[in-house]
Amino acid sequence: MNDMPQQPQRSRAAKWTRRGFIGAGVLAGGALVIGVGVRTGNPVGRLGPLVAGGEGEQLINSWLKIGADNIVTAIVPHCEMGQGVHSVLAQMLADELDADWSLVRVMQAPADGSYVVTDTIRTFVAPGTLDAPDWLEPTWNGLFTKIAQLADGLITGGSSSIRTTGQRTMRIAGAAARQMLIGAAAREWDVAAAEITTANSMLSHKPSGRSAPYSQFAAAAAEQDMPQTPQMKAPENYRLMGKDVPRIDIPDKVNGAASFGIDAVVPGQTLTYAAVRRVPVPGTRVAKMDAAQAKTMPGVLQILNMGDFLAVVADSYWQAQQALNAVTAEYTAPESTIRSSDDQFARFAAALDAAGDKGGEEVIGRGDVPTAMQAAAKTVSADYQVPYLAHAPLEPMNATVWARDGRCEIWTSTQVPLMARSAAAKALGLSKDDVTMHHPMLGGGFGRRLETDYVVMAARIGQATGYPVKMIWSREEDTQKGLFRCADMSRFTGGLDAQGRLTAYNNVFTQRNDPADACDCAFYDIPNKSIRVAEAELHLPFAAFRSVDHSQQAFFIESFIDEAAQAAGRDPLEFRLAMLGQSPRHKAVLEKAAAMAGWNAKPAAGHGRGIALTESFGTIVAEVVEVDMSSGKPRLTNVWCAADPGFAMNPDGFRNQMEGGIVFGLTAALYGEISLKDGAVEQSNFHDYKLMRMDECPAIAVEIINGDHVRLGGAGEPGLPPAAPALANAIFAATGKRIRALPLAKHFA
Amino acid sequence: MHRSATLAVIALALTLTACGSKVEDPVEQIVVRPPGVAAVPAAPAAWDLVAAGKAAFAVCTACHSAEPGGASGIGPNLHGVVGRGAGSVAGFSYSEAMAKSGLTWTESELDAFIANPSGKVPGTEMVAGQVADAQRRAAIIAYLASLKN
Ligand code: HEC
Repeated sequence: MNDMPQQPQRSRAAKWTRRGFIGAGVLAGGALVIGVGVRTGNPVGRLGPLVAGGEGEQLINSWLKIGADNIVTAIVPHCEMGQGVHSVLAQMLADELDADWSLVRVMQAPADGSYVVTDTIRTFVAPGTLDAPDWLEPTWNGLFTKIAQLADGLITGGSSSIRTTGQRTMRIAGAAARQMLIGAAAREWDVAAAEITTANSMLSHKPSGRSAPYSQFAAAAAEQDMPQTPQMKAPENYRLMGKDVPRIDIPDKVNGAASFGIDAVVPGQTLTYAAVRRVPVPGTRVAKMDAAQAKTMPGVLQILNMGDFLAVVADSYWQAQQALNAVTAEYTAPESTIRSSDDQFARFAAALDAAGDKGGEEVIGRGDVPTAMQAAAKTVSADYQVPYLAHAPLEPMNATVWARDGRCEIWTSTQVPLMARSAAAKALGLSKDDVTMHHPMLGGGFGRRLETDYVVMAARIGQATGYPVKMIWSREEDTQKGLFRCADMSRFTGGLDAQGRLTAYNNVFTQRNDPADACDCAFYDIPNKSIRVAEAELHLPFAAFRSVDHSQQAFFIESFIDEAAQAAGRDPLEFRLAMLGQSPRHKAVLEKAAAMAGWNAKPAAGHGRGIALTESFGTIVAEVVEVDMSSGKPRLTNVWCAADPGFAMNPDGFRNQMEGGIVFGLTAALYGEISLKDGAVEQSNFHDYKLMRMDECPAIAVEIINGDHVRLGGAGEPGLPPAAPALANAIFAATGKRIRALPLAKHFA
Repeated sequence: MHRSATLAVIALALTLTACGSKVEDPVEQIVVRPPGVAAVPAAPAAWDLVAAGKAAFAVCTACHSAEPGGASGIGPNLHGVVGRGAGSVAGFSYSEAMAKSGLTWTESELDAFIANPSGKVPGTEMVAGQVADAQRRAAIIAYLASLKN
């Protein structure tokens, strides 16, 4: 690795800093750019037009630019899908820079290898290296940048952006730029750097009364040495971090100016539209296509049998979809013998039966479960199950492609722009460099857009036509033929000692994806534990769903803990608190949620309250749900949520994410079900894949506990996991009916 | 079978880069016509304002005929409207506003009317047919002007 300096060098271009790479340089217009690490062979000249093509701008590769108008632009690598990441990462950078928030703008980093999210990849792949000593930091950073580039590591997911890129990249870029601006002013004014203060994008020297906007020193700042260890603010000095600063992306979303993948236009070209129909049963192929009628229909340009899907290309989307509806086809026989949901759950049950008390692959083993179980005064057993779920983002899958002359240009909303580029390149037999990705905002991701299947389909259609085509999945296609949160089944036996403490815990389930610790509730002090996975075949293809395995595991675990409390004759809150002796932060969160709900006061007649506690993506969340069962059907009245993400960078944004996660979790728990008939998905649109409506939404209160300013947790997913078990537990409290299979509403039809 | 959402995508990406590519061509490709051919009907060889106007007049035909001697519909017959007095088609029952407007349909008066009917003739019963695009209005008027005989 020739990037690594053998000894300290004066050359700005070859210097490493702790906690990230920063490069700097002067723009043609006199603007300063603080960039990603100056990595050898970094194609600055090629990147320039991508990120700094404006008047008087010329690049460097960068996380921030300062323009002649004193506007600071944060170049954010993560994708905006409603979670507010563009705004909050800019907020973190701007705070360290002491920038005036009203003069801060955001730019989506292009889909280019120079913008891989090294720290996100590193946090997931090797979190142990994050605490590396300073002298090793350049090596690790360099290594993970290479890995990230190889792996197309430009990802938005895992509730990770703030705690990885925000903490380790954006803040450093801001802090370093501030120090360099001060250095430049100190030299020009011939004063001590320590006497210069910064605020609102201005430099000031009080003793001499001089002051200047950042833009005035942008060019000179770039001549400064790169600070080896940029000074980051201590929490008591945060000015924007931890504050509800207004989100940058909201005005455009309110006035309709925001552009999403589905809004893509191909400059100077007339678009054509493709409607698609995938094979109904996964793994089958089109055996025969009859397009006689479709050929004669208005607007139709091409009809394609792609083997694994059919497509009609037409002048308008509507014409394409109408003609596609007239195409009939026969399909090959499926290999899988799973035809119905019952078949699927029978597979799970068989796998659990075969695993018995000890079988399957051990995920967590602690103490001696058989002995503890034998010694237990009482045992409690239960099986739980969850169905498949569709992500149902408002913006259906779509991609716009123009493939010609051995090149391909793609416009699509994706959580993984570089992977989508590689997948398309592979499908078309092109090199990655011949594929250009444009990735505007996402009308919902939820994990579905971590997959690249739809991009590849559009690329293949575009390759066949040779002219620009926008492929849009119908809502039906999106509901039936996508990729799904897996169905799963989980079996528990617990042993309670004479004092009613949970001393033995035996659990086996069938689906394991991510994160690895989702199946455990390590914060509860349970001395003997055996948690195992007995894998069973899934009929439908998988895609991560918001909170991934936590979305089902939290329902299993926190329902079972509730049943254990009941078996022990204890209050569910008290039972949980008694197991939190080693976990003070979890205890504080649980107590907070209970206090918000007024747990100790009896709810109204016919009402019930349920509680659940989880930790996911580094954030601890407790929720109390209150449900009114007096009409015989669940009507949700309230959710009280307490959460400890370590530190909420934008509390309003964090609360929004908790609310969103809660609504997503409750809607899935109440209604979410993708079922199978003849091997195909039965549901097709929002009439039979119901989402919770506005009038069904409970009042949601969220309170934040900032419990650890260094090790932060995520925001996008952690609100979801406790929602389903808290609701199921509330229904039990109100009715005495324990529901062990989601969705809940089905049991009260 | 361990499918970590993050790790799996990374692994997938590495495989994608690693293995040779296999291009899956269409099994069957039926080309009905190339794009843009029938889509722009009777595309004039050179830019022909009258032809473009005739096409653009389609939005008016729901209410107006422009055939010589054609019956009035919801709106009056527009054959020879350019140069004619407003509210002058015999047998058509105009609004009072139109009948008493005193306008003569010169090209510029027509332009103003089509751009904003109730702005030009407050109280007119022509409630649709507004054309915001100046070029399209110019084309429509050129077409109407060509219908004189
Ligand atoms: C919804 C029906 C409707 C549509 C569409 C419509 N018009 Fe009209 N138009 C009318 C009616 C009704 C009148 C009579 C208005 C009145 O009496 O106030 C009228 C009157 C007129 C007049 C005045 C004629 C005269 O004899 O004084 C002109 C010129 C005209 N329309 C042009 C157009 C053009 C050009 C278009 C298409 C761009 C168009 N209209 C579309 C209903 C329509």
